[in-house]
Amino acid sequence: MNNRITMAALPLIVFVVLLGFLLKGLFSDPRERDSALIGKPMPEFVLPDLMSPSVQHKVETLIADGPVILNVWGTWCVTCQYELPYLTKLRNEYGVRIVGIYYDQNHAPEFGQFSDIPKIRIDVKEMVARLGNPYQYNILDLDRNLSLNLGVTGAPESFIVDSQGIIRAHHMGDVNERVWRTYLAPIWNEAK
Amino acid sequence: MIPELGNFALYIAFTLSLLLSIFPAIGLRQNNIRLTSLAPNLSVGIFLFTLFAFGCLVYAFLTDDFTVLNVAQNSNSDLPYYYKIAASFGSHEGSFLLWLVMQSGWMFAVALLSKALPSDMRTRILMVLGWICVGFYAYIIIASNPFETTLPFYPVDGKDLNPLLQDIGMIIHPPLLYMGYVGLSVSFAFAIAALLSGNLDSTWAKWSRPWTAAAWAFLTLGITIGSWWAYSELGWGGWWFWDPVENASFMPWLIATALLHSLAVSEKRNAFKSWTVFLAIAAFSLSLLGTFLVRSGVIVSVHAFASDPSRGVFILILLALVIGGSLLLYSVRAGAIKSVGKFSTLSRESMLWGNNVLLVAATLVVLLGTLLPLVHKEIGLGTISIGEPFFNQMFVYLIVPFALLLGVAPLIRWKQDKIKSLYVPALICLLLSIGLSFSWLFLEFGEVKFFAFLGVVLGLWITLFTIHEMRITWRKLAKLPISHVAMVCGHIGLAFVIAGIGLTSQYSVERDVKMFTGDTADLAGYNFKFDSLKKVDGPNYEGWAAVISINKQQRNVETVYAEKRFYPVQRTTMTEAAIDDGFFRDIYVSLGEQLPDRSWGLRLYVKPYVRWLWIGGIVIALGGFITLFDKRYRRNKRMS
Repeated sequence: MNNRITMAALPLIVFVVLLGFLLKGLFSDPRERDSALIGKPMPEFVLPDLMSPSVQHKVETLIADGPVILNVWGTWCVTCQYELPYLTKLRNEYGVRIVGIYYDQNHAPEFGQFSDIPKIRIDVKEMVARLGNPYQYNILDLDRNLSLNLGVTGAPESFIVDSQGIIRAHHMGDVNERVWRTYLAPIWNEAK
Repeated sequence: MIPELGNFALYIAFTLSLLLSIFPAIGLRQNNIRLTSLAPNLSVGIFLFTLFAFGCLVYAFLTDDFTVLNVAQNSNSDLPYYYKIAASFGSHEGSFLLWLVMQSGWMFAVALLSKALPSDMRTRILMVLGWICVGFYAYIIIASNPFETTLPFYPVDGKDLNPLLQDIGMIIHPPLLYMGYVGLSVSFAFAIAALLSGNLDSTWAKWSRPWTAAAWAFLTLGITIGSWWAYSELGWGGWWFWDPVENASFMPWLIATALLHSLAVSEKRNAFKSWTVFLAIAAFSLSLLGTFLVRSGVIVSVHAFASDPSRGVFILILLALVIGGSLLLYSVRAGAIKSVGKFSTLSRESMLWGNNVLLVAATLVVLLGTLLPLVHKEIGLGTISIGEPFFNQMFVYLIVPFALLLGVAPLIRWKQDKIKSLYVPALICLLLSIGLSFSWLFLEFGEVKFFAFLGVVLGLWITLFTIHEMRITWRKLAKLPISHVAMVCGHIGLAFVIAGIGLTSQYSVERDVKMFTGDTADLAGYNFKFDSLKKVDGPNYEGWAAVISINKQQRNVETVYAEKRFYPVQRTTMTEAAIDDGFFRDIYVSLGEQLPDRSWGLRLYVKPYVRWLWIGGIVIALGGFITLFDKRYRRNKRMS
């Protein structure tokens, strides 16, 4: 008899526990997750430089001078504009090497939309002149293959790649004082 | 003006459901017939006002009334009229109104068709439905009002409907699914009413059966059409992804299937009583849980509606009240229920018990797979994802005993049976299905793959046993009872699904090719020729279609158009796959990107027997609908 009452109450108990988790889950971001790329080698690529298309960049040239922060950005991206001054500060004050991956939204050849690259160069020059230039150079990822391989879901996003070419950190959103201190700086110092 | 009327109608419906939840309860307590007899009338009123509100929303969509926020965000003046209608339930708010139309519609049907029930039972059922309505209507009015306005600054044109939803499958899939989800609230109300009255005899099960069968049939159809939609619209030929939202519809289906079988035992043998009540509560609880998961943004999914924690909290409170309340009632009352029917190890009862155990185990697997990532993260162990391999493996383990039992069960008598009578037919069926499957796969595909073989053997096992069983019953009875035909439908449908899954998952082939116009490619004996590229523009999109002619042994099979569409308002690109469908195989072509050298990427698939999945699903659902024509349920109504 007692046993039967316990059995009958079991679903209720399970449900109450579940309810607790659901409530907690409601207030945490489901998209927040560890990047699957951390600890993996940087995906291979051969892409031209944004400013001088004859120069080709690849993984070996990227890590030749030691660890690097890869920053995915575009002039169209509003958050990137807020991030530029801080990244410039990182470059000037801490000597952090930053390489940009230029991500252009408008390139869609199957619909006859092609990026106006000369215009992009002008926009980029204008913007970095105004807000600060953190970049050693910019890689032009027109077909967005590299961004896709990096699991980029938007701009800005930043990666720390160490001198062995291993991805050590992946941050979505802008890099600011708080993000740098709590997340990126410890990993950067270790990678250095 | 019209949207305001709709809004007002929703308030009235809410007030009526408040009355429905209170007055009959007082009436029952005081034995006041005037109060209890209000229940059916109130139910009818709620339905009419909700229907009117929904009509107003559809009207707002059809007339491009962008002063309504919902219209502005989900429609566009260029959208064809049938998609405008579909857009009215494409958003979170609109879909919830549709949900309420269904909820009150079922309640209306119960009020109309339950005159034969004892009056206090009928009142209690409607009252329980009224309680559910209070929660739902409060939710729609407070947290998700579809008539919210954009005034005083309304846009000139709307943002357009998500292109993924602009498809015929999407017009019929959600209403069917909701019919199923909400229909389960009727079985739930029957169970709660029975618990409240403390009278759990077999008549309760008998009344509940046709309602459960109807809801279950709608749910089956909804899931089937949803799977077909994903296949034809998402552009990569998959038909089931174990996505949280699919799981959310699959769990209530599994439990409702168990419930349908367990109700039979409760009705015929007066056994499994508290268990059946529990299943009825669980089925509706899981539909609610599914709704919560889809709409609160707790879990990421392709289906997710815009997430908003405040809505999530509201639904969670609703969940806590409905599920928590009913489980509490269950734990208080069910302990005292005694099952009387005795049965031996080999009996129809034990077979159905096996059915229930396996279905509940399957539900737990899905529930675990869906919620474990959430729990794992919340207790601080980091993020994990549980994918297809887990589900597929578990379901293979579960489906084998399930299908084997399913074949035998209809042959076994209630109470007890002798195993001897089974030896010969079982041996014949087993040998026949193994032999037939082997030769079929070998002759058609040239190699026998294990999982396809397993699927076909199980499918044939079920089919052969069903034929054998029908031959016996046919001899004994002058005419097969309709509910027996329904059972045969359900089982044969499942046989199709199992065989189809085995075949299509093992023998489908695909190939990525790069083609210029005029190029050809071969796959699985078919020759694909990229004839030309055509510009195709629709009312609200522009796009390209690759004209592909498919040949087999120099004979033209079909010419198909694989499209790529661009929807400028939403700035989205959509792949519209070209499908040449057939009973034995589908040919599926999807157009990819144009490559820098002006050639096109194309993906070609040949998928044998994929259509059996949906044919099977429809046959299963048909079984559910056929049950409704069983005379026993109608005679019962006429008796009073």
